[in-house]
Amino acid sequence: MMLVIIGGGPAGYVAAITAARFDREVVLIDQGLLGGTCLNEGCIPTKALLQSADMYEHVKSAGHFGIELPGKDPVIHWDAVQKRKRSVVKQLTDGVRYLMNKNKISVLNGKASFLSAHELLIDSEGKSEIIQAKQIIIATGSEPVALPFAPFDREWIIDSKDAMTLPSIPDSLCIIGGGVIGCEFASIFSRMGSKVVMVEQAAHILPEEDHDTANCLHDQLQKAGVEILTSSAVKQLDTTSKKVVVEKEHGERCEIQSDHCLVAIGRKPRLEELNLEQIGIEFDRNGICVNEHMQTNFPHIYACGDVTGGVQLAHAAFHEGTIAASHASGEDVKVNEQVIPRCIYTSPEIASVGLNEENARKQYGEIRIGKFAFSANGKALILNQPAGQVKVIVEPQYQEILGVSIIGPKATELIGQAAVMMHTELTADTLEQFIAAHPTLSEAIHEALLQTNGRAVHC
Amino acid sequence: MAVEVVMPKLGMSMKEGTVSVWNKEIGETVNKGESIASINSEKIEMEIESPAEGTILDIKVPEGEGVPPGTVICYIGEGNEQVEEKKEKDLPPKQKKERKKISPVARKIAQSANLDIHTLVGTGPDGRITKADVLQALPDEKEKQHNEPTKYQPVSMMRKTIASRMMESLQTSAQLTMTMKADVTKLTALQSQLNETASAQHDMKLTMTDFVAKAVILSLLEHPAMNSQYKNDRVETFEYVHLGIAAALDHGLAVPVIRHAEKLSLIALAKSIKSYGKKAREGRLLHDEIEGSTFTITNLGAYGVEHFTPILNPPEAGILGVGKADHMPVYHGNELCKGTILPLSLTFDHRVLDGTPASQFLSTVKAYLENPVSILL
Repeated sequence: MMLVIIGGGPAGYVAAITAARFDREVVLIDQGLLGGTCLNEGCIPTKALLQSADMYEHVKSAGHFGIELPGKDPVIHWDAVQKRKRSVVKQLTDGVRYLMNKNKISVLNGKASFLSAHELLIDSEGKSEIIQAKQIIIATGSEPVALPFAPFDREWIIDSKDAMTLPSIPDSLCIIGGGVIGCEFASIFSRMGSKVVMVEQAAHILPEEDHDTANCLHDQLQKAGVEILTSSAVKQLDTTSKKVVVEKEHGERCEIQSDHCLVAIGRKPRLEELNLEQIGIEFDRNGICVNEHMQTNFPHIYACGDVTGGVQLAHAAFHEGTIAASHASGEDVKVNEQVIPRCIYTSPEIASVGLNEENARKQYGEIRIGKFAFSANGKALILNQPAGQVKVIVEPQYQEILGVSIIGPKATELIGQAAVMMHTELTADTLEQFIAAHPTLSEAIHEALLQTNGRAVHC
Repeated sequence: MAVEVVMPKLGMSMKEGTVSVWNKEIGETVNKGESIASINSEKIEMEIESPAEGTILDIKVPEGEGVPPGTVICYIGEGNEQVEEKKEKDLPPKQKKERKKISPVARKIAQSANLDIHTLVGTGPDGRITKADVLQALPDEKEKQHNEPTKYQPVSMMRKTIASRMMESLQTSAQLTMTMKADVTKLTALQSQLNETASAQHDMKLTMTDFVAKAVILSLLEHPAMNSQYKNDRVETFEYVHLGIAAALDHGLAVPVIRHAEKLSLIALAKSIKSYGKKAREGRLLHDEIEGSTFTITNLGAYGVEHFTPILNPPEAGILGVGKADHMPVYHGNELCKGTILPLSLTFDHRVLDGTPASQFLSTVKAYLENPVSILL
C-alpha cells in the first residue's frame, strides 16, 4: 500500500529512502527541484558563498603568513562565485535524484493538496491527477516571513533566496533581523566588500544563543565593518528612495539607505496550498501539530521537518523524516531531539549543543562553567584565528554536561565532539583524563571541560 | 606455607555466602577447631572452625560482604610468614555478573538515589540505561516529600533468597488456590485427650499443625499426583513424602524439611516439627535440612488469618495453608451445635494436576481431620 510524501527536502527525501528500505511503495511529490530549501536556497548555497568569502579573506591575509602575491590585490568575480555555488548544488541535487531512482521511489512534479484523508490532488502545469494513499507524510518545509507592512518585491525588499542570486555584490545592504540567517549574510557580504547595516529588535544579536557567544560575534562583525543596531525596530520601508526607517532604543529615528533590504526575521511553515482545514488536520501558527512519532491528529498522516515548527534545522529534519517513515512502516520509534547541534556559519563560526547558560541556570539553578579562550590555543594562533572561546556548562551534582557553546575557528566541526559527549551522556569527570591531540583546536574543548573544576592547564 | 580458609559450599544451590562476624583479628593466634568467623548463606548461619593452629595472617573478606563459595576468606600461618596469594587462574572461575550498559550520567543519578541498576530497564541501544530511564524509575518529587524520610537498607541474604524464590514461583508455575473448611470439633477433643498422655510420656503437646501434617502425609500417599513436580515437560512423582514446614523467623522465614515423613508416627512427626522449628529460629538449620521437600505446610492460624493464598515453594506442586481454628455454630442434622472450624487453603500447580484431583486431595485431608481417629490408625 502506497506511502505518499509531500515535499522533497531533507525531511521528505530521507523519509522516502527510509520507507523504501522497508520495501514500501513510495511516491514523492515536489513542486521544484529535489533537496528543498537546504540544498537549493539554504544551507548548501550559503555555505558555498561563505567559502568564497573565506577564501578571499585568506588570500588577502597571505602577507601575514609571509606570502607575497604578485601584482594587484585579489578580486572577486561574482559570476564565477555563483557558478561554483551552482555546481556544488547541482552535484548534491543530482545525488538526491540518483538516490530516488536507486530506491525505486516515484517522483511526481506538482503541487499537492488534500481532497480527503486518503486522497491527494496533484496539480502539475494545468494537468491534475488524484492519487490514493494509505499513509501520507507532509514535509513541505518553511518559507521566509515578510514584514507585515512590506511584502517582498524581489528587487529591493528581498529574502535569503534572492540574496544568494543577486546580479552583483551590492555596495550596501541593510539586513533586518539579527538571527542566524541575518548574521550569516552579514558575514558573507561584509567580507566581500558591501557596507552592511544589521537591525535587530532584541537587545542582542542571536537572541537564542549564549550571550558570551553573541557578544563575541557582535565584536567580530563590527571589526569586519558591519554596523549593528540592536533594540531597534524597523518602522517603514520606502521602496522609491530605498530607505529603511528605524526607531532606535530611546525613540531616536534614523534612516538607512541601501541597495537592497534583506528581510530575515524568521521562517513560517508552508501550509497554504495543502488544504489542511478541509479534512481537519490540526495546526497552529508554529506549524502542523504532531506527537512523538510525528503523527498528526490523523494517525495515518505524518508531518516532519520545518512544517512542524520546532527546531528548523536540516539535520533535525533528517531525524524527523526517518522517525516518521519508520513509524509509518511499523517500527515503534519516537523522536529524540535532546541533543541537536546548532551551527552558525559566520566568521568566526559558532556552534552549540544543549542548553545555553541562561536556560541552564533557569532549569538547574546552580551550574558550573568552564571557559577556554582560543587566544591560549596554539593551533588557533597558527591559523591566525585567535578570536573566540569554548564554554562548557556542567551540572555540579553529577557533573552532567548540560551545554557546550563554541565560537571560533572550525567551531561547526568541533561541536561534533560535544554532541557525542552529550548524546552518550558522559560526565565532565569521566573526561578529565581524556587525551586531546596537540596541537589541535580540540584541546580547547578538553581545557574548558577541565576548567569546570578549575583544572585547566593553559589558563 | 599459610593455610587458606575458604567460604564453604553449604549446598548445591548456594551461590554466595557472607561473613557476618569475624571472631578473630589479623595477628591473633588460633587453635585448630576454634571458631574464627560466623558465616551466613541464604537460610543458614554457621561457624567456621580454624583448620590449623597458627596466626591469622590476612583477612580477605570484610564483614557483610558476600562472596561465592570457594573464595579465600582468610589465611592462617606462622606469625611472620608472607602470604602467597594464588594466581587468578588457580581460583575457581568467578561468577560473571551480568554487565549492564549504562551512561555515566545515568549511573551517577542511580547511585545517589540508591537505585539498583540491575532493576532498571534501559531504552537505549542494546538496552543501555539512559538518564531518562533512571529519572523514570525515581519516585517523583511529590511522592518523595510524602514519604520522607525514606530509609534504605541493604537486604539480608535471606530476604534476597525469599524474594527470588517467590518471584521464580509466580513466574514459572500455573498456580491457583482453592479453599475448604474442616470441622475439627472432634479433633480438638481428641487433641486435649491425647495431650494428657503426650505431656506425661513425652513432655510435649501435640499442635494442630502436627495433626494437619499427619493428615496431609496420609492424603499425599493416597493422591500421589499432589506429591510431584513439573520438570522439563515431565511430571516427577515421589513415593516418599519430604514434608516442608514453614517457620516464621524474626526477619524472614525458613522451611525445614522432614525427610521421609511417611515413616513417622504422629508423636515422632510432632517431635520432628518441634525440633526443626527451634533450629530454624536459632538459625542452626543445615543446608540439607532445607532442601528437597515435596510438599509444604504453612500455618498462619496463630496470627488470626483464615483463608489465604500461599505461594508454591518451587519445585513443589502443592502447598497447604492452615488458618485459625475458630468456634462457630454448626448444624448437625437440624440441630445447631458449637463446632470448631479450620480453614484450609490449597495452592497447587495446574501444570501438574487439574482442579478435580486437587479438590479430591483436599477433601481427603478434610476427611482425615474430621474423623481424627483414622489419623491415629
